[in-house]
Amino acid sequence: MTLVLSVVVYVVCGLTALLALYYAARDLAADLVLLGACALSLLVWFTEGAALALRDLGGGAVDDPVTLYGYLLTGLVLPIGAGWAALFERTRWGSLVVAAAAITMVVLNLRLPQIWAGGFA
Amino acid sequence: MSVRSARAARGERRVQGPTALLVFVYGLFALSATARSLVQILRELDRAPVAYLLSLLAALTYIAVTVVLLRRGPGSRAALTVVLVELVGVLTVGTLTVLDPALFPDATVWSGYGIGYGLVPLLLPIVALALILRSRRRVARGTLR
Repeated sequence: MTLVLSVVVYVVCGLTALLALYYAARDLAADLVLLGACALSLLVWFTEGAALALRDLGGGAVDDPVTLYGYLLTGLVLPIGAGWAALFERTRWGSLVVAAAAITMVVLNLRLPQIWAGGFA
Repeated sequence: MSVRSARAARGERRVQGPTALLVFVYGLFALSATARSLVQILRELDRAPVAYLLSLLAALTYIAVTVVLLRRGPGSRAALTVVLVELVGVLTVGTLTVLDPALFPDATVWSGYGIGYGLVPLLLPIVALALILRSRRRVARGTLR
């Protein structure tokens, strides 16, 4: 389950990053499509995080819970902050903020199985 | 009316365009570096005191740059100062980790010029410096507040 969710996070965040980079290259400000993609990233990240937390509460043995939950929380803050920035900065630079957030979420997602391999087994 | 509120009344913002992206990335690094160094220091400072304290220094630098960019803007002298401090920090720590790895049993944010973070810690102050110098030239010419 978590493994599938992890793949979904890669796909959604990866596509959001590509879309945001396209917007920036075309000198477009974030519109409802890009903001929607950003919100979708938040949603899939939240779902993955909730699934991992449930697994932890259900008797999983996380080696380093502080780091795990720190990463999960950072992944939640990123799309919220980026969406907010894209609303205020209505130029290509706001779109680039969304790209930066989505790329960072992909990197964070890469690190999750290194922090708690058991969570994805 | 203060300069700040006068600007707000005219609908102008100090943080706009590329600076908005810069503030976002600096804010992200401030958050993650602070969390990381506090966890390391509270958990096991004895293991690598130099590395962990330098991580904390890096975290404080990122907080300072974020706050200064937000409050004073990229054209300010304070922005130039904190980014230069950051650049010196990443170059010094990066060089130290290459020359004397024994000093660092565990990695810092600035180890190997930030290689663990895709060299972003090295690129960040250089990009920021370019933006700051551009802003300062505009301020001098009077084309930007």
